[in-house]
Amino acid sequence: MRQILQLTCRAACYPFYRIAPPLFLLAFLLFSNLTLFAQTAVTGRVMASDGPVAGVTVTVKGTQTTAVTDAAGKFSIQAPEKAILVFTHVNYKAEEMTVTGGNMEVTLSSANNSMSEVIVVGYNTTKKATLTGSVSVVKGADLVKSPQANVSNSLAGRFSGVILNNRSGEPGYDGSGITVRGLATTGNNDVLVVVDGVPGQIGGLERLNPNDIESISVLKDASAAIYGSRAANGVILVTTKRGKTGKPTISASYNHGFSSPTRLPEMADAKTYAAISNEIAYYNNKAGGMNQQYSDAEIQKFADGSDPLNYPNTNWAKTTLKNSTGQDQANVSVAGGSDNIRYYLSSGLLSQDGLYKNGANKYNQYSFRSNIDASITKDFKVSLYLSGREEDRQFPASSSSDIFRSIYRAYSTIPAFYPNGLPSGGIEGNNPAVMATNAGGLNRNPGQVFNGILKGSYNISAIKGLSVDAFAAVDKSWYFNKTFATPYLLYSYNKNTDIYTSRIVGGNNNAASLNESQKNQTQLTTNIRLNYANSFGQHNFNAFVGYEQSELKRDSLGASRINFPTPLTPELTQGGTLATDRDNGGNSYHYTRKSYLGKLSYNYAEKYLFDAQLRIDGSSTFPAGHRYGYFPSFSAGWRISNESFMHNVAFINDLKLRGSYGMLGNDNVALFQYLNNYTFNTQVVLASGTAIGIAPAIDLTKLANKQIHWEEARKTDIALEGILFNDINFEFIYFRQQRSNILAARNASIPNVTGIVNPYGSDPLVPSENIGKVNSNGLEATLGYNNRKGKLHYGASGNFTYAKSKIVFIDEAPAVLSYQKQTGKPLNTYLLYNATGIFHSTDEIAKYPHLDGAQPGDLILQDYNNDGKITADDQVRSKYGNIPQITYGILLNADYKSFDISVVFAGQTHVSQFVLPESGTVGNFYSSWADNRWSPANPNGSYPRVDTRTSASVNGGQYPNTFWLNNASFLRLKNIELGYNVTGSTLSKLKMQSLRVYLSAFNLFTITKVKDYDPEGSNYSGQFYPQQRIVNLGVALQF
Amino acid sequence: MKTIFRNIFYTAFFATAITSCKKDFLTVQPTDRLPQEYILADSSLYEDYVVARYVGIRLQDKEGDGTNPGFGRGFEYAMWSSLTDESIYNNDDNTWLVQKGLLAPENTGIAGTIWGRSYRGIRDCNFAISTIAKVNMSAPRKARLMAELKFIRAFRYHDLIRNYGGVILMGDSAYNLTDNLQDDAFFKRASLKESIDYAVAQLDDAANGLPLNNDDAWLLGRATKGAALALKSRLLLYAASPLYGTGTWQAAVTAAQAVIGLNKYSLYTGGYSNLFLINDNKETIFERLYTKNANHTHLEIANGPNSYGGWGGNLPLQNLVDDYQMNNGKAITDPTSGYDANNPYVGRDNRFYATILYNGATYRGNTIETFTPGGKDSKDGPDNWNTSKTGYYLKKYMNDAYPLQNPWGNAGFQPWIYIRYAEILLNFAEAANEAYGPDVVPPGSTLTARAAVNLIRERPSVGMPDLPAGLSQAQMRTAIQYERRVELAFEEHRFYDVRRWKIADVTENKPAGGVTVIKNGSNFTYATKVALDGRHFETKNYWLPIPRTEIQASNNKIQQNSGY
Repeated sequence: MRQILQLTCRAACYPFYRIAPPLFLLAFLLFSNLTLFAQTAVTGRVMASDGPVAGVTVTVKGTQTTAVTDAAGKFSIQAPEKAILVFTHVNYKAEEMTVTGGNMEVTLSSANNSMSEVIVVGYNTTKKATLTGSVSVVKGADLVKSPQANVSNSLAGRFSGVILNNRSGEPGYDGSGITVRGLATTGNNDVLVVVDGVPGQIGGLERLNPNDIESISVLKDASAAIYGSRAANGVILVTTKRGKTGKPTISASYNHGFSSPTRLPEMADAKTYAAISNEIAYYNNKAGGMNQQYSDAEIQKFADGSDPLNYPNTNWAKTTLKNSTGQDQANVSVAGGSDNIRYYLSSGLLSQDGLYKNGANKYNQYSFRSNIDASITKDFKVSLYLSGREEDRQFPASSSSDIFRSIYRAYSTIPAFYPNGLPSGGIEGNNPAVMATNAGGLNRNPGQVFNGILKGSYNISAIKGLSVDAFAAVDKSWYFNKTFATPYLLYSYNKNTDIYTSRIVGGNNNAASLNESQKNQTQLTTNIRLNYANSFGQHNFNAFVGYEQSELKRDSLGASRINFPTPLTPELTQGGTLATDRDNGGNSYHYTRKSYLGKLSYNYAEKYLFDAQLRIDGSSTFPAGHRYGYFPSFSAGWRISNESFMHNVAFINDLKLRGSYGMLGNDNVALFQYLNNYTFNTQVVLASGTAIGIAPAIDLTKLANKQIHWEEARKTDIALEGILFNDINFEFIYFRQQRSNILAARNASIPNVTGIVNPYGSDPLVPSENIGKVNSNGLEATLGYNNRKGKLHYGASGNFTYAKSKIVFIDEAPAVLSYQKQTGKPLNTYLLYNATGIFHSTDEIAKYPHLDGAQPGDLILQDYNNDGKITADDQVRSKYGNIPQITYGILLNADYKSFDISVVFAGQTHVSQFVLPESGTVGNFYSSWADNRWSPANPNGSYPRVDTRTSASVNGGQYPNTFWLNNASFLRLKNIELGYNVTGSTLSKLKMQSLRVYLSAFNLFTITKVKDYDPEGSNYSGQFYPQQRIVNLGVALQF
Repeated sequence: MKTIFRNIFYTAFFATAITSCKKDFLTVQPTDRLPQEYILADSSLYEDYVVARYVGIRLQDKEGDGTNPGFGRGFEYAMWSSLTDESIYNNDDNTWLVQKGLLAPENTGIAGTIWGRSYRGIRDCNFAISTIAKVNMSAPRKARLMAELKFIRAFRYHDLIRNYGGVILMGDSAYNLTDNLQDDAFFKRASLKESIDYAVAQLDDAANGLPLNNDDAWLLGRATKGAALALKSRLLLYAASPLYGTGTWQAAVTAAQAVIGLNKYSLYTGGYSNLFLINDNKETIFERLYTKNANHTHLEIANGPNSYGGWGGNLPLQNLVDDYQMNNGKAITDPTSGYDANNPYVGRDNRFYATILYNGATYRGNTIETFTPGGKDSKDGPDNWNTSKTGYYLKKYMNDAYPLQNPWGNAGFQPWIYIRYAEILLNFAEAANEAYGPDVVPPGSTLTARAAVNLIRERPSVGMPDLPAGLSQAQMRTAIQYERRVELAFEEHRFYDVRRWKIADVTENKPAGGVTVIKNGSNFTYATKVALDGRHFETKNYWLPIPRTEIQASNNKIQQNSGY
């Protein structure tokens, strides 16, 4: 807790000095004009057929004054005389009632997926009934049902149109990649995250405390156009919880989870690997025979374990990893308020352990949030949202990718530890069982994020419906990174001399080394909007115009030292003293944006709906003259069920046809591409006599594109949604997107002879140019059923998304073969040879075109163009890439008396993943390959013969082929929660409002054809920290 | 109403205050890069740009480990030698496909990087050449930088010519994205002769403008007059060679003599091994220097024997081992040589010991044991997956002062010598022998071919007997070929020599040989073996294939080398 307080203080103090003066000015000006209107306290009770209803939002119509009913259904609210109160609740139809004075009694009727639910859209809210865009919503209450602490992982399967892929389970880096309706551009596909109105808030989505989230809306279509230049990939709007008028509610929860890998590949055991080594040696020198590495007697020793010192059988994953590890989450919040001040205060703690035995991997997160809303006067409201968190990441000095790479590479024929306890050298001095511990030092990576938003809203009462909203938001983050790498000893045993020889690994130059860096970011966003909302008879208007600007600054600083005299002083000041022992670096980044925005919503009797939006965005990424982009959108809806002719159709409760069209932008490319960029490198060494040094040298790193501007997305959406028979809700969406002016680097079409050649593995020389064009389209469907039979409430819903992209233009070499073109194909496909089988004999080889030197056990590559030779012309594009074209989710929930259960399945199909393990004399083999390999002794093997190095093998990296392309479809039980709510007298004895215990799980099981690794992974060699399966026990209570 | 308007006014004021609509709010100045104008406006920045041209871009994984590549391949994990009969690379790393004759436009292995890197380097030079007039700099300095740029550009062309034959000559323009990059002029390959003539003319210009010596105003590492003349010597030697057949041996003699006649260079006398470990000596004509934080591959761990913790990377072949003469100057195949197959490493050319680690060799205070059973550097030793497939490890270039284990950042400082005087002497000898015979002092020269070779053989630490007088021209040719093979082993000559001599169809079709050493008591028996099956060379392999991506990018307009 002390840490939290310190953080709050540190975070809160600094950035506010900048914006405080103008805000105080605003407050002062508005205070000085207070005018009080007559208000009376209205009380009442909200009932439904089965008793009082808690949690009903009571709003004074036309104002922002709200209250919420308590457990007894009671509410109290300040309202002017003859005001209209609106009662809304998710499970009930909205009701309106004029203030009658005295105690009001309101009865709500049940309505699943009530049309009156308020949905957060860009910069304001709308009723579901009048929503004309495609917006998916998930409530915070559902998010917390996932025991996985990373919010991005809790969304999978919940709704259509949002595709999530969890690529790694490493604590601290365990988020999901999110794409809305699949890939739509060759450029950046990142979704814009807006938290409490701040676009691109620093800190993002993943690390928010799910307990603080009221709801998440995903804008999937042109409705996102209000976010203009950043909206093309979709927008996720996060709304955090706020206090409600009423008695304070104290909520607390505690969860303990048991986390284990969803899947780890089985690797070949020692006797198999020894046999494989012999085969590899045989293929390189057939005359040498089958026992060039190990004799049969030695292989027998590997098999029987009779000599564990010299002939061990090591399961590196088992040696390095625990079966399961723990994670804890604790949260406390207080919410409540009076009519004038409402508050939501919370604090959360998350602690995750890594999977390593004696491991140094840990993630701790401490977070707080304070959302305070104050009604200063009837017309003037001020809100202050403060939130912050500490993210404490700790890792061993070796990265998880190195550790897992070593686990899969290290041979089963090498012990992890010798029988006397000394660690072995693993593979080339990488012993993952030691790398995972703090033996080689630690990497500490603490970070702090602070977000502050001050909002003001003033109702200009002289003109009905006119109001001004403004906010100023400050985001800060501080990330520190300190890696102190210390040398340690590994041993190798020489059986001929019976001597253990040590070797020093880790650190640098056999001494400790230190790397420190600090990266600070500040984002300042200010926004002001003039709103107008009014109704003239059945004509309802809601409009705003606004201005927004933001500025992002990032400064980073790094320093390193080597040759520490002792590993006991891990500080910069204590490192080696030679000039070459010291290195420092730094960088800064500055980005600005300026926007004008407006929106007009009109509807007639909530029957004919029309929305128009426009945003004009300016960005520092682009050169003067190309800076501003215009992003308009239009949408319309027709609530057919509100037509009089539909009133007789009793089984249709609601039916809406809607459509939208708009232009959205994507500006997510590197800065300064409109200039020829020249940077200093440190690669040229010159000498004078014995003095040698790195000379200053300048390289061209980026050619200018003086015309660079926005990437554009035109999005069209047509949808039909409704409710039938009271219980069935449905939504069908057809969507289409045309991406043009895609910012892409010309890579393939420019001949190298021009000298415009892009380097490998770093930023291309060519700038992003507005050249790409991709069309995508697809369908979304959602069907849900909810029912209550007495005390049993149950529901099921399914969602389905089909999203397919088609490249219209991508930079390709002029002479690329038609069937190898990317143009016309979906994004991210693979270019591979078709592997059609395995040559079992020289006879078979003779009968079919093959590579020079093909031998039995090699893959048969299809002679696709039938020219009798296997050449690069025989490669073909794969049908799918590694972003699924089809995703689906199934949600089930039920509650009966005190018990409830909710289940989320998530699945994907039409997806492929290429994985070529790093095997050979450079690494161990998946046992699926090892056990089924073709070999002279196993001429019917279903996997190709083993080779020295898969990456350079004719059966692997040399001729990448479909043998290694897996159908990565899966159906996965993403979340399940089983809960029990304590009721009745026990609860009152405990003086609690509620007490709930539950058992939940994440990634509980998976159905897939992929054999060796988690099908959600995307690593080319399968070497990554595996996704986690979490089984969790929790308790939640409320006072 | 008045209050209302006041409120609106204040609100607007507030909005203005917090948003501070600066007119240049969207204009951001870069701080970590320079726009082009600055490079041309500041002569020292311009020179920094010129100096950077010695280093190229990397185009492949495992290339430029440490710092980016310069010319050729230099020190990389898999060295260029592993594409020849000098060595194989233990773990393939895209070298075996070349050894096995599978080189194809779509599969160029480690040989796929020269084309793109060279043309990028040429363009980068052209930018400086075409803008130097705008730079505010003294005329002599300008002339010198111009000469340097022409030298570097010619070196890039040399890299292209010796790998691809006739190349595309790009002139002096630095092309931009706004140019028509599909212009047919980009795709016309000049003849081999035109290509060499162009590069040689550029080197003549460079030699005229470059200083003779490095000094504080022209640091070591930058090209000198000698470097330009030496590269010209190499190119003209190639031009006269059978594969090229476009130049004359006389011209090659003159070019080599031009370097010799500078009287600046001499053979290093501090030991053949040491030559490759020190930066500044009279033998090195042009080199790439490395230092801490700008190092190359950590050679000792990358190539070291398994018991030392090394990875046994570039493994010398029996083919090379067998070619080392006895120290009496006789080939081991000569029955009178005194060669003992049971003691094969005794009494060999001293350069053998400086180049190759073999069973029984002393290394880092220990003895190499590649024998079985039980040899620590054999498959019976630790980390046996790193055991040499050939039974040999590389010794040349290894610096015992650098850490072998855990060397990261603390090794990889040996200079890569692009051209040294011994090569010039051998260029001279070869050309003089072909043009005038072994024992004639060519006009304008001071040496005979034989004398030039003997300078190399008789130098301290090599100490090989002189070539006898009276060799025929053909015998002399063989002697020179031997001398180049041994003297210049692992220095990126063999690959080109066997091609230009057109002997690759013999040398490169020989199996990759290794040795099996069996220990019986205290005796060893040696048996040759095939270290890597499938070594193969075809006529088309005399030149590299132009990468398929490049042919496609040219819309099939660039003429591929024949056979591919």
